[in-house]
Amino acid sequence: MSMSQKLELPLEPHAFAEDIFRIVSHPIMQEVYRFRHLIARAVRDFLDGEGFVEFDPIMIGPVTDPGTRGAFEFRIPYYGREYRLMRSGILYKQLLAAAMEEGKIYFFYPNLRHEPIDAARTGRHLVEFVQIDLEVRDADHFQVMEIAERLLKHVIDEMRRYEDRLRKIWEFFGSERDSLPDVKLPLKRMTHREAVELLMEHAKDDKVIEELESRFGVKRPQDRLSFRAEIPWEWEWYLSKIHEQPFFIHDYPRGARGFYDREYPDKPGILMDFDLLAPEGHGELSSGAAREYEVSRVFARMRETNENPELYRWYLQFLRDHGRPTAGFGIGMERLVKYICDLPSVHLARPAPKIPGVHSP
Amino acid sequence: MTDYPIDEIFRRAKLGELAVYPPKDEFGYNVFGADVYTKPRRFLLLDDIVLLPPQFTPERLEKGIELLREPLYTDVSTETSVGGFRVRMPVVCAAMGGTHIANLIGPKIAKGCAEMGVVYSLGENIAAIRGYDERLTNQPSFKERALAYLENLKDGYGGLVIQQSVEDENLKLWEKVYTDPDFDQYVEEGLIAFEIKAGQGAKPGLGGEVLVSREVALRIKDHYYIPEDPEKVVKDYYERHSAPGTFTEDILASQIRLIKNNFPRVKVFLKTGPYRDLDRVIEIASREGVDAITIDGKEGGTGMSPIAGMRDLGLPTVACLGAIARARDRGIRTSLIISGRLYDGSHVVKSLALGASAVAFGRPLVYACLGSIPLAPTFIKRELFRNPLLRELGKVALKWGVRGEGCTKGVVNYLKSVENEVKMLTSALGKYYMDRLSREDVGALNRDLAELFGIRYVYSAPEATGKVVQRGVELS
Repeated sequence: MSMSQKLELPLEPHAFAEDIFRIVSHPIMQEVYRFRHLIARAVRDFLDGEGFVEFDPIMIGPVTDPGTRGAFEFRIPYYGREYRLMRSGILYKQLLAAAMEEGKIYFFYPNLRHEPIDAARTGRHLVEFVQIDLEVRDADHFQVMEIAERLLKHVIDEMRRYEDRLRKIWEFFGSERDSLPDVKLPLKRMTHREAVELLMEHAKDDKVIEELESRFGVKRPQDRLSFRAEIPWEWEWYLSKIHEQPFFIHDYPRGARGFYDREYPDKPGILMDFDLLAPEGHGELSSGAAREYEVSRVFARMRETNENPELYRWYLQFLRDHGRPTAGFGIGMERLVKYICDLPSVHLARPAPKIPGVHSP
Repeated sequence: MTDYPIDEIFRRAKLGELAVYPPKDEFGYNVFGADVYTKPRRFLLLDDIVLLPPQFTPERLEKGIELLREPLYTDVSTETSVGGFRVRMPVVCAAMGGTHIANLIGPKIAKGCAEMGVVYSLGENIAAIRGYDERLTNQPSFKERALAYLENLKDGYGGLVIQQSVEDENLKLWEKVYTDPDFDQYVEEGLIAFEIKAGQGAKPGLGGEVLVSREVALRIKDHYYIPEDPEKVVKDYYERHSAPGTFTEDILASQIRLIKNNFPRVKVFLKTGPYRDLDRVIEIASREGVDAITIDGKEGGTGMSPIAGMRDLGLPTVACLGAIARARDRGIRTSLIISGRLYDGSHVVKSLALGASAVAFGRPLVYACLGSIPLAPTFIKRELFRNPLLRELGKVALKWGVRGEGCTKGVVNYLKSVENEVKMLTSALGKYYMDRLSREDVGALNRDLAELFGIRYVYSAPEATGKVVQRGVELS
């Protein structure tokens, strides 16, 4: 790959609107798309081997999950009513994991989220993306964390067979990486509290603060750290940056997540959930949790997130009559591709990416 | 027995369920409230407190040294900060929703508030009933009202507060605003707050009750509780009820956390009502870090409230101010906004002296607007709305009347009068900044209020200052 080719490929989101053929036909982009295919195949091999049943995504319904961080839902007219395009398949995942004899199901689930404009700056939010979305019956979050780490290791080990081809992609995008990490299980696990404590320690270093301020354009990032809230994007990037292996953060505080993440019965205010983060600044790959499945708890939690229970009638009825404990997670496909190919931004992991606020094909 | 309420019983016998509301002809135009607070008068008002200017004014001396001349009342700065918004004076336009009058004149009031640099609030059900960006009725949409305010802001003053009712949630209004490119600039500048609506003065514990036209009823019947199915029963107006929403301490705390987490670039406001556990509400919301709490005393929020609610539900506004004063004593520093039949500079100064950060005006701004459009005196006398034969004419007249700039001008003039009054009264107290007003500046005409606020009862002697040594008098 010569430098001249590199300079000829404009990569910013707007460029897709100018000449999309030129981008998607570029040899390097073709390779990225091929890796997306290889990764998907490795995921399917792994999950099928574990006894999971794959479903095709259900795209529209009377209600979608509540979403987080301010993303709006897309709506469409549906025979005199308004239906939603799925922001995620969470409700249907629980339904099918409870219904299927195997108790293990997965989707390659396209999600549509009308993200706020500021999400365009993170390099890891797309309006349209795919989740490898799975759910397991009678499991808790710790059990599915084990599945998540084995799945990730399997995919990385499979991709190692193509490391020579990957190196060309890395080189093209200016990556400093020269090999895929040798993933050692079990991955490191820290609670949300431990992660925030660690970051608060690092926040005492003025150099760290300066870097975050200039890189993310935030003021006083140290004030944005809280034991009661989600870890802000800039800090998640930093935490990821100082790690060399993927790692888990678990036990997020209630209030940071949707009503479906189960609260520990004996630890009020703490959720039985987790994020799986990639190292080298790539950040969150996956979110998962044990689910609230008792209708009384879900009803109360819906009030907390200001959801209208009326809209969730089918789901609440299902939980009341057939609710079973389940746990699961979703891995962002584009984020996984971005991590393995070490791409500078998630929009390069899709052929016609939708960036918040950008009108591209 | 002559004062036995025979008329009221006749009225109930005639109207049945509808008798709980103020007279039917005013429905949808019910901005006038009722005189249930003053006749007969059953509880204390802020008017039972007076301002107590001192002879000795060290802060005036300080101000004089700064100015190098004797200070005038015009030197008082009414600028302050409310819930993180910089404002030209400690006034907030109380949230008005999607009902007929409030919505029709909404953009005009918004413009006046922007010009005067005060906070403007958008109430519930505007987007749901009137449309988010496109007009669903012949009335302004949500976005028209919001942008009428935001586009007219100047000098960095002001802020827009947006409520979302349980039913507005169907629309995902907050998410819509948060992801709308037309709002992004204002979100980025920190000019937007989302407000959890957890109460309203005259009807704490009750949800929204509104009459809507048949056209609107047909459109929204899937999202709201409408007792009479507009498909089957044909009439001019239908009752539309919305749920009050269930709160527990945990639910309130979680809702606040969720907004902070999901919408990190907006401020979080809470609107609560005259509840008996108000102290606890203030405590929890402050602990969770809301930027401001608006407390609507029982005399407030009369729009579409049942008569019994206005009469008998909740703590009077001064009692709510008591909760604010107690919160300050407990070290709570969150912006606390009071409302409920408050309408002049005197009310503002007294409220601030007792611990409030600002005063919210609802009805005053509606009247200021309506009183300034052609035909105004007629409106104020309600004749056009009171008389069913003239009502349709009244609607048309109002619709034409608000097209001019009279309404906005009225709002601006009204706010200027309040601003001027606040300056005069503050200056009389020997102070020049809003945050210097304190309990020493007020006295109660009533012992209960003196005790409630720990302020002076005006007919008692002030604390003794020690024995006076009088010079120059020959003592025998």
